[in-house]
Amino acid sequence: MSDSTSQIDSTIEIVTPENIAFHYRVAGPFRRFPAFFVDMLVRWALVLVIGIACSAAGMVLGGAAIALLFVTYFVLEWFYGGLFETFMNGQTPGKWALGIRVLSLDGQPINGVQAVMRNVLRFADMMPLISLQVFGGPPYYVFPTFVLGLLTMTLSRHFQRFGDLVCGTIVVMEERYWLTGVARIEDQRARELAEYLPLDFRVSRSLARALAAYVDRRRFFSSDRRREVARHLAQPLLERFGFPEDTSYDLLLCALYHRTFVARHPGELPEPDAGGSPFLLAPAPAVVPSESGSTPASSP
Amino acid sequence: MKVSELLEQRRQNWRELEQLCEGGPVRRWTAAATVARFGSLYRAACADLALADAYQLPPDTVQYLHRLVGRAHNQLYRTQPFNVAVWTEVLFVEAPQRIFRDGCVQLAFCIFWGAFLLSFFLALSKESFPHYAEEMLSTEEIEKLESNFSEPISGRDPTMNYAMAGFYIQHNTGIGFKCFASGLLVVPGIFICLYNAAFLGAAFGYMARPDVVEGANFFHFVTAHGPFELTAIVLAAGAGLRLGWSWIDTRGMTRLASLRQTAVECMPIIGAMMVLFFLAALIEGLLSPSSAPYSVKAAVAILSSGALMFYFVILGFPRGNEDATR
Repeated sequence: MSDSTSQIDSTIEIVTPENIAFHYRVAGPFRRFPAFFVDMLVRWALVLVIGIACSAAGMVLGGAAIALLFVTYFVLEWFYGGLFETFMNGQTPGKWALGIRVLSLDGQPINGVQAVMRNVLRFADMMPLISLQVFGGPPYYVFPTFVLGLLTMTLSRHFQRFGDLVCGTIVVMEERYWLTGVARIEDQRARELAEYLPLDFRVSRSLARALAAYVDRRRFFSSDRRREVARHLAQPLLERFGFPEDTSYDLLLCALYHRTFVARHPGELPEPDAGGSPFLLAPAPAVVPSESGSTPASSP
Repeated sequence: MKVSELLEQRRQNWRELEQLCEGGPVRRWTAAATVARFGSLYRAACADLALADAYQLPPDTVQYLHRLVGRAHNQLYRTQPFNVAVWTEVLFVEAPQRIFRDGCVQLAFCIFWGAFLLSFFLALSKESFPHYAEEMLSTEEIEKLESNFSEPISGRDPTMNYAMAGFYIQHNTGIGFKCFASGLLVVPGIFICLYNAAFLGAAFGYMARPDVVEGANFFHFVTAHGPFELTAIVLAAGAGLRLGWSWIDTRGMTRLASLRQTAVECMPIIGAMMVLFFLAALIEGLLSPSSAPYSVKAAVAILSSGALMFYFVILGFPRGNEDATR
C-alpha cells in the first residue's frame, strides 16, 4: 500500500519501532466536538458531585471545604483534559466514548507536558469570545465560538487546532474494523469457469487488488452496472484467454477471483513470495477444503 | 498458499489480539504471560500487515489489519506521566534563568508597568484628566470598589478567609492561563495585558486621590499580596508573548518547529506563574483581610519583593553555560 501516502485523504502513516507502517484516520471536528461536549458534561457532573460533597463537608470543616471546592473547580477547568490524557493514555472520557485518541505527530503516545499544554491552549482556539451583550443580553456571559480553532483545523494538514500545532499532537480515530475475509462466490458457473482459466496465467498484485475491490462491491451494483464496470478489465482478458466474446464479464472476474483467492488447483505452481509468516505462532490449522471456499467470519 | 487458507490460519491470532485489546491497556499489574503473548501477537500482526501486499490480501482485510495494529500499538505504548522528580530543579534553576534572559518577559514587564503607571497618574490627577477614571473603570465599577472598601479592614470570619483564598486561586490563576493562551495570538495577549494594567492602574490611581476616603482601606488590603500577584500576571503575559513571538521570529526553524520548541521552553515560566498566583491567593485570602496592622502587611510586601528579587536576579543570573535566547 505504498501509494496510499500520496492519496488526498485524512489518513496518516505511522512507522512503529517494529518497522511497520500502518495507517490511522485523523479525527475531524465532527468527531471532536461531540467528545468535547461529553467532556463538558462529565466536568459539570464532577463539579456537581464535588460541590455537594464539599457543602456536606463544609458543615464540619467550614471554609476549608469551600476553598477545596474552588481549587477542584480550578483544576477541573484547566487540567481536566491534561490529567486525563496523561493517565488515560491520550484519552479523556469524552474521547473514549467517541473512540478517538491524542497521539504525537509521529504516532507515539503523548507525554504529560504535551497533554497539559494542548488543553491550556484551548482558550486560544475558543477565540473570538462573544458576549451576550452583542445580542442585547446581560454583559456577564461570554461564549467561546471556536472559530479560530476551526480555521486552523481546516488549514492544517491533520485537522490540528492551535493547541495541537504547538504541542505537535494529532487526534486519531481508533475504531474497530470487521474482518470480512474472502468473499464466497455463490455462482456455481463462476467456479466451473475458474477450471477453464489457463494455468500459466499469474495474477499480478494490482490485478488481485482490483479483483478484490470489484467482488467486494459488486453486490451493490445492478447487472448493467456490473457489466459496465467489469468490461475494462474483462475484455482484454477474454481476448487473451480466447474465450467466446459473449462470456459474461462479471462471471469472468468472479471466476478469476475464485481461482486467485479461494480455489486450490492441483496443478498450480507454488507461489514464491507468499507463505508462512516468520512470526507465525499457532500451528497452522487443517487446510479448508477448497470447494467450500471461505466463509466470512463476521458480518458488519 | 491461497489467501483463504492464510486467513483461516491467521484469524485465530488476530481474534486473540483483538480480545486482548478489548481487555484494556497493558499495565504494570498485567500478568507477565499476557504481556508476552500480547507482544508476540502484535509482532505477528505487524508482520502480516507488512507482507499484506505479497500475500495479496483483499483491501478490506488490509484495512482491518491497519486498525488492529493501530489499536494494539496504543495499548502497548503508553503515555509518559509527569516526571515529578525534576520539578524542583525546573522551578528553582531553569525557570529563574529563563525568565531573567527572556526578552519577551522583559517586554511584558515594560508594557504592564508602563501602562499601569500611566493609567495610575491619569486617574490620580483629578485636575488635568477629570473623566479618565470614570471612563476607564465605569461608574458602577467605581461604586463597587468604594462600597467594598468603605469599612476599615478589621478582620473577618476565618471561614470566609479560606473560601476566598480558594476563590482567588481559581479566579486569578485562570486569568493568568487565559493571558498566556491568548499570547499565542500576540494581539489578544498584548491587549489583555494592557487592559489589565490600565484597569488596575486606574483603580490604584483613583483610590490614591486624596479626596477618596476609601483609599486608605484599599491600600491596606492590596499591599501584602500585590508583589506576587502583579509579578505573576507579568510572567503569564511574558510567556504568552514568547509563544506568540516564536512563530513570527522563528530562529531559523519552520514556524511549527519553532512553536513546538518554545512551548516546551515556556513550561518553567508557567510553573513559576502558578506558584506565584497560589502564594498571592493565600496572602490575599488569609493576611490581607485580617486585622493585622499596616506595618505587618507592608513588611510582607517588602519581604515578598525581596524574595522575588532573589529568585529572579540571584537564581536567574546567567551562569554562562547556555547562550542567551532573545
